[in-house]
Amino acid sequence: MSYNMDLYRIDLSRIENMSHGRSTSFQGVHQRAIILVLVGLFAVQTALTWTSSTSVAPGRGSLSTQALIGRQLYQDHNCTACHQLYGLGGYMGPDLTNVTRAQGKGPDYARGIILHGTQLMPAQQVTPAEAGHLVAYLDAWASSGTYPIRSFDLTPWGTYLQMNDDARD
Amino acid sequence: MPAIDRSALLFLVFGVVSLWLGAFFGLLGAWQQVMPGLFDVIPFVKSRPLHVSLVISWIFMVAVGGVYHYLPLLVGRPMHSPRLVRVHLFLWMILGLAVLGSYMLGRFGGREYWEFPPALGGLIAVSWFLLVYNFFRTAMQGRGPWPAYLWMWATGVVFFLLTFLEAYSWLWPRDDANVVRDLTVQWKAYGALTGSWNMLVYGLALVVMERISGVTEYARSRTAFLLYALGFTNLLFGWAHHIYPVPSAPWLRYLAYGVSMTEWILLARMIRHWRHTLDGAQRHQHVLAAHFLYASEAWVFLNLGLALLISIPAINLFTHGTHITVAHAMGSTIGINTMILFAAIFHTVDRVHGDTGTRVQYVRLGFWLLNGGLVLFWLSLIGAGMIKGWYTLMSDLSFQDIMVMVRPFLMSFAAWGIVLFVGITLLAVHASWALLGPFLRSRPVPVDRSTEAYNR
Repeated sequence: MSYNMDLYRIDLSRIENMSHGRSTSFQGVHQRAIILVLVGLFAVQTALTWTSSTSVAPGRGSLSTQALIGRQLYQDHNCTACHQLYGLGGYMGPDLTNVTRAQGKGPDYARGIILHGTQLMPAQQVTPAEAGHLVAYLDAWASSGTYPIRSFDLTPWGTYLQMNDDARD
Repeated sequence: MPAIDRSALLFLVFGVVSLWLGAFFGLLGAWQQVMPGLFDVIPFVKSRPLHVSLVISWIFMVAVGGVYHYLPLLVGRPMHSPRLVRVHLFLWMILGLAVLGSYMLGRFGGREYWEFPPALGGLIAVSWFLLVYNFFRTAMQGRGPWPAYLWMWATGVVFFLLTFLEAYSWLWPRDDANVVRDLTVQWKAYGALTGSWNMLVYGLALVVMERISGVTEYARSRTAFLLYALGFTNLLFGWAHHIYPVPSAPWLRYLAYGVSMTEWILLARMIRHWRHTLDGAQRHQHVLAAHFLYASEAWVFLNLGLALLISIPAINLFTHGTHITVAHAMGSTIGINTMILFAAIFHTVDRVHGDTGTRVQYVRLGFWLLNGGLVLFWLSLIGAGMIKGWYTLMSDLSFQDIMVMVRPFLMSFAAWGIVLFVGITLLAVHASWALLGPFLRSRPVPVDRSTEAYNR
């Protein structure tokens, strides 16, 4: 009950303040201006991310025409449900970042698994040419860096030296 | 004073249905991880997106339904266009059916979390535009400076639309397409999307707190606005801790480390402050809503610790790509968001019925099963992640060998998932039954009397 009384008092004072010249239209302009500033900040951050967010050397991680088709096939078959790239994606199957260049694996290994499956993974319903596009896509990832990072030097402030540059070759 | 909008209530009801279905497919997916081949009619490649999209739908439906429900009461006027609210609801119904149908038929084409064919994303953008328009046309009619929750909602609705469009920027071909930039932009958009819907959910939490306690000062306090500012900073930069191991630019990673998870600390502070000043009598009028808000407080603390740890790059090296990330996601979406959303739902139930309007003992049982199950579910995921992270980095074991070691933890995770599912089922049944009551009994939805004392 006491709260209701307090509320009533607060409301009265607010209404009183508003009657002394703070108009609704002014509030509207003020709020629109703040929203526009926020959107502007977002635009700056977006521009920075789109133009200077990678540290890979030119040409590495590039998507060829084949790899772009492979990217769409990767999405069409929802490969991300089970597999990860740089540790992002599903947890059922292994990370595929370096599958086309890892020791004991390679493009043929990847193509074979896509076409014929394994005990746990079903064969994907793709043509050999499409399997080639998927391998080209995976190879673009492999050319961009190494994951997981097994060689690292931790620093006392909680980072690791490889964060400073693309030193993961 | 405006009456309670039936369309807003239907958003909440369909949100609860989405949660129940999402939990069902989540449980199926969890068991498929330990028993591959289980229920092959809906294999893991389908059950995972079904689970994720339905749970995201739960958060959207209730957060947006909450905005449609509370905004007229806060502004003191009805929504600018109730018809647009109905069109929005209709579009989401169509969209929901189309997404479920595409997953069931195995038609994908989109990216993680939005795996449905990209054309359906256009429908989401259109419906969201309706919300933005209707929100601002209504909110601008209010008098006086906006409290923090209106700012949170305004930012949430605008930036969701912007970042959702950015998440689909991969559709526009670029001559210099590069996988690293592709991934960085994708996670930038996803981080900001999550930040945007968190703005909607946290705004809702503030509204429910204010209306339970009757204390209006918090949402207008410096702390609330600081929380809002930090939430916005996080929305802009807090996402990059997801991509520490990706060869992205160092400035992004260091900035993300600096920004870290500061907004959680402030949220916890605010909830604690609110709890200590809650008036006992008023709290007992909304006992269920208050319980869910207390639970969200506990989960903020648990998830805060985990979030702070995994945002330290040296620790992130071991936790990235492991089930610890899933534990963090579950802690956030179930522990924090779901508790806040249930608080809003049961607060609405109180208002629709004038009292708790439902079988409180079943809701309490559901509450404890959900929270108890979630603690053990969460710990199982952390255990699985620790094993996977350590052996991936510190040994030469193959992925298959590591997964054999992880399996007992995944069994535990799947088993506690059953408890979680039973808890969600109890809550979902009682919440939807109570919300549907006025429709089923053809009773007029009552005018909110509390608004008269609350008039801004």
